[in-house]
Amino acid sequence: MLTQQDAKNLVDKVIGYSRLPACEVNVQWTEDAFIRFANNGITTSGYRVTQQVGITSITADKRTGNTSVGELSDEALKRGVEAAEALAAISKPDPEAMPALPAQEYPALHNFDTFTASARGDVMIPHVRALIDSASRNQLIAAGYIQRSSNAVAVANKAGLFGYHTYTDTGLSNTMRNQGGTSSGWASQSSASLKDLDGETAARISSEKCLRGVGRKKLDPGKYTVVLEPAAVGDLVGWLGFAFGARDAEQGQSFLSKKGGGTLLGEKLYPEYITLRSDPFDPKMAATPWAQSLLPNEKIAWIDKGVVRNLNYDRFWASKAGKKPTPAASNLVLDGQDHSLDDLIASVDRGLLITRLWYIRVVQPQTWQLTGLSRDGVFLIEKGKITDPVTNFRWNESPSEVLQRTTQLGRGERVTGGETGSQIVPPIVSTDFNFASVSDAV
Amino acid sequence: MKFPIIKDLSTRRSFLGAATTGASLLFANRLFGAPDAQSTAPSKDLERLGAVALAEGKKQGATYTDIRIARYRNQFSGYRLSPERGGTKTDEVPFVSDQSAFGFGVRVIANGQWGFAASPLVTADEITRITREAIVVAKANSVLQAKPVELAPTKSYVDRWTSNFEKDPFIVPTNEKLELMQSVTSTIKKDPKVFSSFGILWFRSEDKYFASSEGSSIQQFVVQGYPFLQATAVDFQNNISRTRSYSVEPLSAGWEAIPKANLGENAPRIRAEVLEHLAAPPVKPGKKDLVLLPSHLWLTIHESIGHSTELDRALGYEANFAGTSFLTTEKMGNFSFGSELINVFGDRTNEGGLATVKYDDDGVLTTKFPIIEKGIFKHYQTIRDQAHLIGETESRGCCYADSWSSVPFQRMPNVWLAPGPATVKPDDLISGVDDGILIDGDGSFSIDQQRYNFQFGGDAFWEIKGGKKRGMLSRVAYQAKTTDFWHSCDGIASRSYWQQFGAPSDGKGEPEQSNAVSHGCSPSRFRQVNVLLTD
Repeated sequence: MLTQQDAKNLVDKVIGYSRLPACEVNVQWTEDAFIRFANNGITTSGYRVTQQVGITSITADKRTGNTSVGELSDEALKRGVEAAEALAAISKPDPEAMPALPAQEYPALHNFDTFTASARGDVMIPHVRALIDSASRNQLIAAGYIQRSSNAVAVANKAGLFGYHTYTDTGLSNTMRNQGGTSSGWASQSSASLKDLDGETAARISSEKCLRGVGRKKLDPGKYTVVLEPAAVGDLVGWLGFAFGARDAEQGQSFLSKKGGGTLLGEKLYPEYITLRSDPFDPKMAATPWAQSLLPNEKIAWIDKGVVRNLNYDRFWASKAGKKPTPAASNLVLDGQDHSLDDLIASVDRGLLITRLWYIRVVQPQTWQLTGLSRDGVFLIEKGKITDPVTNFRWNESPSEVLQRTTQLGRGERVTGGETGSQIVPPIVSTDFNFASVSDAV
Repeated sequence: MKFPIIKDLSTRRSFLGAATTGASLLFANRLFGAPDAQSTAPSKDLERLGAVALAEGKKQGATYTDIRIARYRNQFSGYRLSPERGGTKTDEVPFVSDQSAFGFGVRVIANGQWGFAASPLVTADEITRITREAIVVAKANSVLQAKPVELAPTKSYVDRWTSNFEKDPFIVPTNEKLELMQSVTSTIKKDPKVFSSFGILWFRSEDKYFASSEGSSIQQFVVQGYPFLQATAVDFQNNISRTRSYSVEPLSAGWEAIPKANLGENAPRIRAEVLEHLAAPPVKPGKKDLVLLPSHLWLTIHESIGHSTELDRALGYEANFAGTSFLTTEKMGNFSFGSELINVFGDRTNEGGLATVKYDDDGVLTTKFPIIEKGIFKHYQTIRDQAHLIGETESRGCCYADSWSSVPFQRMPNVWLAPGPATVKPDDLISGVDDGILIDGDGSFSIDQQRYNFQFGGDAFWEIKGGKKRGMLSRVAYQAKTTDFWHSCDGIASRSYWQQFGAPSDGKGEPEQSNAVSHGCSPSRFRQVNVLLTD
């Protein structure tokens, strides 16, 4: 582990080599262990240490050069600084470069778990075994992945700023397929602590979905009421977070741009029970005490009781707009309601239960229309009960409009879907979800 | 970054290592020793370090050991020109970044199971420690192995190889690169109706040493370049924003590819075309014929042919992440994938291809092999530990790891579509279309986990009416089932129009890795494809 003292020595050395007025250093150190399995056996796995030091040098007239180095010898660090300064010297002034931040008071985050940081195969293999055993018992085929990482990060600049933080992160995901390849089920868990993972529980969920998914019905594409499980909601909300930039909104390139100019900031676009916010302080999230700008990380509401409450201002754009800079819309939390997933299913007269989403891409950057597919479990809901398994669909939808059409939410949990990292989100019910075509994929 | 990232931006790539600004600095004090185009032998220093891993693996009871010691470099330089907040003055924002990575990874087979470990500290002691770690991993995991690993035989090689390039892009002064990008982005932005412009030059190199316990000792150096330009236009009154890009073939080549890209000459064209795109009427959806240019079709080939013919997917090894494939193994040799015009090769030997190398990360001499012949699916992409699973006796050389810290596994070779007859020109394809669309460049892209159902946008769309190319259209996407689409192909232009576009960052695997790959093709025509009107 790169200790706070190691990190301090490292950044002091880099800053000591710097001759330009401004120098910023960004250190990332990670030790991780992972196991990948498929066809009911372990396939590849590994243990590794990686490290990276990013160096940004800035001249008095705001010319900027960036380098990163991974070799931490004095000579390599010195060369990294010299290279960054050489790049700054030949660059042109950056009209958007901001003055260096002075020393900051960073909040304390509690997302490092010692047990997780030292875990190796002996701790992870029982979870894999539970999954493979469940597959064997049910004549299914298990594939999946379990990993844990122990991370140390540090930031510093020549103006006296210094920050150091350690965090752990871990996740388990599993796909069960049946022998005939006609059904699949999936489950995923993620947390700062390996103690929160449970292969048995994941195996029960993914096996049950796979067994229940046999004999899929082909329904016509069209608009359906959907119950989106948390992993599906997480990826939609994750993509939505990417589109909260103030600059794009002000410059007519966002779903938050107003026709004729201006933005939709302050407007009530969603039902009052929709609140989407960033919360880096949740101990289950792999967050850092600082935002990308190196300002202290903070809780912030993007949508507050249905109203667009904040846009994401970087330091430059905030200085021009006379606003306070914000962190980016990451570590997202969509507030839930006190309903179980079963309650949500029971509330739907006819609709589809969607396990997760896949291959989500932006169709139109300005409207933020996305496309993607359902994956690993679509089920028909009739009169509040799951009846038949259904084939997968391609969908074209705006995540903003999905929230606008949301009628009910369940209880939040940390999820890691296939696309956008982790969020804390509930399952939701949303109407008129646009399925464009059937996908034969299983 | 506006590059087409195929799967996910969150790839855990480590940009490590020393970063420098010129050849003298790049190669000074480096482990690899000065580059020597004449040398056919790997560096002795590297061979000595490699031998440490091989000896330790043997001592600890591994039945196979390999080590990769690798240095990577990525250099980005460019400009973004956009209006200041609430005003008309243009802010010209330069960026320049030089990132590199250095370290080693050791792979072993012990108790019949793979183990892997990696470290950025390239010393004999650390190589010994990490080799032991890899064996610990293998032995621990062997309690849950389905079957012992079996490697297809390969010859052993002692060789040094360099990709073809005339001028190392890293020795070109960075200010020359910045001046070029400032000039072309200013040309795009010259018309005040163009809202913003963006231009980037990205160069990457991979310098890799491989040694295996089967006697191979191989050093390879690859240089690649990716130029890209984009213009954005905004209609505030109607709340519409459109872009137009100039995609250049990204190639394994040196600085000499940059003048050939004619960035300066193409800048005024995309300046005009972004405004045409902004004013273009929306498409009328329905079944239409498509003429797809290589700058667009490469991505459709990549997603629907490249990924569906990966053996690890077909066998279920990617089931939890990238997915499986509709091309199950009983279809090999007999399945009708597309029309008789479709001939597709997997190829890591073709000049300029982003996946082109002499040896793969299993130490196998790379090959060119048919994937689809006259529409029939013939062969999968394979590596050493898979070949026997489909009754084959040797690997097709498709093993790759994106970093010293990544586990090598099956990755896509260049997968290219053979050109059509010498007489066929793109205009011939267009003249045969009554109601259709010509598509250039890539837009949004999405395909399901078994590669049946895809949807693609594009960068620019022109209506084809009565056999003639007309004005631009907007809001176009098309959706199809892979095999329906390839069966609907009834025209491919000749070799004269064959181009090799591709992607620097194709995602696959857990932890996710990124692969660079090219997909050469000529303009091609597809009949009666389902065209959508997007929002």
